[in-house]
Formats: sequence, structure tokens, C-alpha cells
Amino acid sequence: MPVLEGKELRIVGFLCNWCSYGGADTAGVGRFAQPTDLRIIKLPCTGRVNPLFVVRAFLNGADGVLVSGCHPGDCHYTAGNFYARRRLEVLRELLDVMGIQPERFHYTWVSASEGQKWKQVVSDFTARIHELGPAASFSNCPAVTVETGMKAAI
Amino acid sequence: MSTVRFLKARDIAPWLEELSRDFTVLAPAQHGSSIVFREFDPARGIELSQLSTTPAKRALLPPCETLFEYETTKTLEPPYKTSIELKPTLPEGKSVVFGARPCDARAMQIFDRVYNGDQVKDPYYTARRDNATIVTLACSEQEEACFCDRVGGSPVDATGSDILLTPLKAGYVAEALTPKGEKLLKSTSFMKAEGLRQEALNSRNRILEQVPERSSFLDMERNLLSLFGDLGFWDKTAEACLSCGACTYLCPTCYCFNITDETRGESGRRIRTWDNCMSSQFTLEGSGHNPRPSKAHRMRNRIGHKFSYYPQLHDKTLACVGCGRCVSNCPVSFDIRNAVACAIQQAGAIQEQAHD
Amino acid sequence: MVQHTQELRKLIAQALPELDVVLAWTSGSNQLASAPLFITAEDDLDKLDFGPMHVQNLAAYLPSLKGRKVGIVTRGCDSRTIIELLQEKLINRDEITIFGIPCTGAVNIRKVREAADGQRLRSVEAGKDIVSVTTDEGVRTIPMQDVLMEKCYNCPSQTPLIHDHMVTERNGCHMTGEAPESTLDKLDAMEPDARFAFWEESMDRCIRCYACRNACPLCVCKDSCVAQSRDPHWVDLSDNPREKLMFQAIHALHTAGRCTECGECERACPMGIPILAMKQALNRRIKHLFDYEAGMDMENTPPLFMFRQQEEHIKERDAR
Repeated sequence: MPVLEGKELRIVGFLCNWCSYGGADTAGVGRFAQPTDLRIIKLPCTGRVNPLFVVRAFLNGADGVLVSGCHPGDCHYTAGNFYARRRLEVLRELLDVMGIQPERFHYTWVSASEGQKWKQVVSDFTARIHELGPAASFSNCPAVTVETGMKAAI
Repeated sequence: MSTVRFLKARDIAPWLEELSRDFTVLAPAQHGSSIVFREFDPARGIELSQLSTTPAKRALLPPCETLFEYETTKTLEPPYKTSIELKPTLPEGKSVVFGARPCDARAMQIFDRVYNGDQVKDPYYTARRDNATIVTLACSEQEEACFCDRVGGSPVDATGSDILLTPLKAGYVAEALTPKGEKLLKSTSFMKAEGLRQEALNSRNRILEQVPERSSFLDMERNLLSLFGDLGFWDKTAEACLSCGACTYLCPTCYCFNITDETRGESGRRIRTWDNCMSSQFTLEGSGHNPRPSKAHRMRNRIGHKFSYYPQLHDKTLACVGCGRCVSNCPVSFDIRNAVACAIQQAGAIQEQAHD
Repeated sequence: MVQHTQELRKLIAQALPELDVVLAWTSGSNQLASAPLFITAEDDLDKLDFGPMHVQNLAAYLPSLKGRKVGIVTRGCDSRTIIELLQEKLINRDEITIFGIPCTGAVNIRKVREAADGQRLRSVEAGKDIVSVTTDEGVRTIPMQDVLMEKCYNCPSQTPLIHDHMVTERNGCHMTGEAPESTLDKLDAMEPDARFAFWEESMDRCIRCYACRNACPLCVCKDSCVAQSRDPHWVDLSDNPREKLMFQAIHALHTAGRCTECGECERACPMGIPILAMKQALNRRIKHLFDYEAGMDMENTPPLFMFRQQEEHIKERDAR
């Protein structure tokens, strides 16, 4: 899907299957209007989110990355999001030292019933990324399209 | 009689700038704490005071080179088929390597026997080779790790060079050795200097006189082969080796490569990249079997290839030019000179036993 | 130092009959070439040497020697690596014999080169608090304080945290003092774009030899590293800084919470790329979040191997 004449930025979302993906679905079913920059990749659990998915997405040209899963205590697999929380907090520092603004990365918890919250998360995060503008990219590397960037991230 | 010219030290940069209009100019430049061959940029300058960390081989064998590009398209009928379009790429343009050392230039002839021989002509390599001019700077002395004299070279050897620069006070005497070299010397950056031919020769002779008397590694290829079955020896030799690729990637004569397809979406390119025989993946087969499973096997191959198999195939020329980069940059200070000397000694002992 | 070496030789000689191999250091033709020494017989002991020029972290060899009786000469920092390996059950305590030595700091040869103004080094000799360097222009002395490895300035323990034998500490004076500006300090002072550009320029000279990985005592996958796998295809083989930086991110994250900052990655890099900074940054964050330092306590669990339901120092930011 080509980025719409620079109006859209490239935001990748890693969502857990049980809560946040359901939440995004609820937002869709509820017909809440949302920005369209986000491309969602569904995973079984945020515990499956290797922090390197996020790094790879950024290095492939993403302007923002969002990770969302079940609220702590509600994980379908009991503890996946607890591990994820530690990993993603540490990841923030790596992005920072690599020169990728940590504000471009966000993780949050949205349950399957929170359609309204999902809309808010997406709107706020997209607005933040637009404020930051396109991310820095390596000048002598061939550009990567959104789709292929996502494929490579998994 | 070849042309002789003089180049003042301060005229080097202007000359390279002039060359940059028609050539890709590779010259050694400071990069962090290392000296690397990279495209000449007046802002970065050049660094000739020491042997560069990386060799000049990238001019002929780049670390990564596109063999062809491809694009796949899904056909409408039948729907499960994909058509593929190949776009061949051949290296274009001319290049100049400035400031190669005699060992670097000599190493390029080692590639020639493999990539541009009677049986096989690699189109990518030959295209680069034909379009490359090598300007070599004779060394004014040997560095700590240098051993070109033990492998058939010398600090002032002109083998493989198109132009040889001999440092004299305030500048360099440039001697053309090939028609390609002659062409470059036509530049107005050079001064006429026919009279300096003898002085340059004297200077080179003085450098040669400083080369210490050391045992040679030549003509040992058969001896070394007799050590092939003694894995215990190689185990001992390789015990500290980390199996990284610093030695191979910094080696001016290592020419092994890997070929991979790097696809992004519907398009991609087939690339040829440097490979490393010290890595276990180098010989790992699809079945999972690995004929060189330990670092001892791989060390035996590396030393064997350079000092035994290659010279047996190619007129006794060693596939090592003695630049010492592998010695000075090894994280565990593995010294190939000691290893080869030990191997020769050990092989000699085996043969004596056989005679007894 | 000579006395210490004699004492160490004696200790090893006594223990050698019970051991398959003892890991130590030796000097090459000059002090520039310190190398690991594998002692299997008493004759090898003559080659043994140690001091500020002997820098390799020998614990890197331990996981590959698992199952054999191994002795290892160990400084304070190396002992943290051993503890970390024990924590992760990558080695067995009853298989290793630790010969502790008091350390007075390790020399960073790159800093010596810098201090010699790019002069070619002929040889280097480390004294008590000076390093004398022989270059083409003669001998010059450099204060040890200026050329230590980064880890030495804030060394928490110059003697090993665990050991079976210990060389007596006679003059345990450790080089302390103001640490010079580190790469991480420099990066901290930069804007994000400048940091990105710094890595782009630095990784440009990476030759992908993986010396950083193979020298790392905690990179235990080695031959099965994800960076060289084609499926999954984490890193492609194009020669560009993006892919090379991706590998550094892999290395940093795979050692997050485990890295003891021994600095082998950066020391082993033949191109002198300052990659330790990434790991230092992660360690700094882990110290702040989990109050944890790797390799200090054998009973501890590395922080990313576990979690708490209530994380004291994680302030989750809501999307709003």
C-alpha cells in the first residue's frame, strides 16, 4: 500500500491476538473514526514481541511503532505481558542510544472491550508521530516499502 | 623505456581530485581509529603513514556486489504463476587505487589466476580488473607484523602495479609499469623527472638492504601437505582462535565468496559477498553435515590453502603476501608466521621419521 | 609482577595434575601481542605471563570447554563473567578451578596508539603506573591513568568475586581517578539525529567479521547465531550500515541484563568501532529499572528472565 503522498507516515503496530486486536476490532465495529497510518501485525501475545521486531521495523523505515496487549494480570497466557513490559522498557534505552527518538515507540494495554480507548491510543500516537515527522533513515540504503518492511520484521 | 615523473607530496590531493572526474578513486583514509580504503574525498584527506587496516582488494572484489536484479510479477492467467524479470548488472566505470602497498598489488595477481584464468573468466571480476589502475606506494620500511620478504615479495616489489611510487624527500618518484600507468602519468600534476630514475632505484635498494634475513615460506607446499592428517597439531595451533573472520576479511588475498538473494517484496537482487572460511557455516551442508566441524579443521584449511594447495595449483605462488594484517588485528594475537613456521618444522620432523 | 607470576606458576603447577587445561596469558614477540595460553603440561608454564598488557577475557572459552576440568586465571572483571555463566548454567562450578590474581588495570592498546600521535608502535612495556612505548622516534612514557580500558576506571572489584586459589595481594593499588569521556558520554550529549549519523558513519567501516560476537563470553550461540540464519532472515548480507547496525542491536538485546561490560566486543573489533556504548546504555537502564548488575551474585536471576507483577520503577505512560 503506497504511502498517500506524504500525508501518511509509516506506523507499525504489534498487537496481541486476545485483547488489543479484539479492541481494534471493537473500534472498527463501533465505526470509530481513526487515522489510517497504522499497519497492524497480529501476534499471539505481547510476550511474543521480540524487541528486535521493533528495531527491525525502525531500521526498515518505520516512523513509529506501537505495541499493545492485554492489561497486566489479564494475559491469556498468564505472564506474557509481564515479560514484555520489562523487555520493552529496556528497549526504549536502546532506541535512544541508536538515535531513534524513544517517543516514536509506545507500548500500552487495551482490552477487547475497549474500542473507545483503542481509537484514542491510535489517534494520540499518530498525532505524536506526525508532530515528530518522518524518522531519520540511512542515506545510502535502498528504501523499503511498508509491506516489505513488515514482512522482514517477522 | 617507461616514463618517470615526480609528484610533490602537496600535489597528491589535487591530482586525485582531477582523477575523480573520470575515475572512482580509492585511497586510504582515516576512519575512526582505523585506516580504510574508501572513495577519495578531499575533505577526508588521505593517510599514507602506515599500512591501512583494510586491504585494497575491494577495488576488484567489493564486499558486496550485485550480480543481477530481479522483479517478480503475478500473472493473471493462470493465477498461481509468477513471471520473473532479470536485469543483468555489470560493473561500469573506471577506477584508480591510490596508495596500495606492494603486498596489496601483488595480491591482485593472486585473484587473476582464479577469476581471470584460462579456464574460468568471471565477467564481474574481469570488468573491474580491466578498468582498474593500481598506483602502488613502495614501503619505506617493514612494520612489526610485515613478512612480505618471507613469501616471495618485498617492500618495494612492483608486481601487479601499474605505477610504482617511490618516496623521496618532499614527494614521490612515479614510474609507469604498464600502458594504463603511462596514461595516468600524462597529468600536469607531475613534473618531468627522468633523472630521478636512478635515485629512486637507489632508495629502493637501501630499503631492501634493511630487510632482515629470515627463513622463507616458499617451496613448502608438499611438506605442509604431509601434516594434513595430524589433527592434534592443528588443534593445538587453533586452540585460542575465536573463529571470527577478522583475518579473512582483512586479508588482501582471500577471495572466497557467498551468493545470496536478498528479496524485498516483489523485487530483489542476487549479491555476491565476502565469505569467511573460519566460520563453521562456510562448509555447512544442507543436510546438516559439516566436513570442517572444528576450528582446527578450518585453521588447517586456511593455512593449507595459502601455503600448500594454492601454490601447488598456481606455479608455486603462495596465496599470502605477508602484509601482516591478520597478525596485527587478531583479537587473540594469532600469528600465522609462527603457525606456518611450526608447521614446516613439524612436517620436517615427520619426514625425517619416515626416512629413519 | 615477577613475584606474582612466580607464585601463580606455582599454584597452577600444583593443581595441574587434576586439570585438563588451564587458561592463562602469554606474551608474543613483544608486549603488543598478548595472547591466551592453554596450559596442558608443566613446560607450558614458562610461557605464562600476566599484567596490564594481557587483556583477553579468558572466560570466553569456558562454555566451549564444558565437560572438561578447566583452570582459569581470573581478574575481578573476568570473575563477573564466570558468575554470569554460572547463573545461566552455561558452565558447572565443580568443573572449573579459578586462580585469582589482583589486577592493576588493563591497557587499551588503541588509546596507547592515540597517545603516541599515530606513530607506529614497535613495542610497549607496562610498568606500575606508566606505559613506555617504543616508536620509530624513540621511547616515550604515558601515564597508565590515560590509557586504561574503560571498565577499569569504575572497577568495582580488582580481585575476583569468586576464586579457588588466590595470588597474594601485595601492592593492590588500583588505578583510580577521573574516567576520561566515554563514547556513551559523547552520545548522551548528542541530539538523536547526530547519534543516528554517528552510528551510520561508524558502522560503515564494519567488515562483518563477527569478532565482537565471537569474543563475547556471553554470546554462546556462536555457530547458530540468528544473524547468519536465512530463515528467519533477520539481517541481509548487503554491505550497508543499516544491516550492520541491526546486528549490533541483536547483540545488545541478547546480552541485555547479562552483559558484565567486560569490553571484549569493542576490544576485539579490528576496525575499532565503539560498540560497547550500546551495552553500557542498556545496563544503565537495567540498573535504574531493576537495581541489578550482571555477574555480581550467583544466586540472582538475570532481570529479563523474570518479572514482578508490580514493577517498582516502571512508570507506564498512558497513551493519553
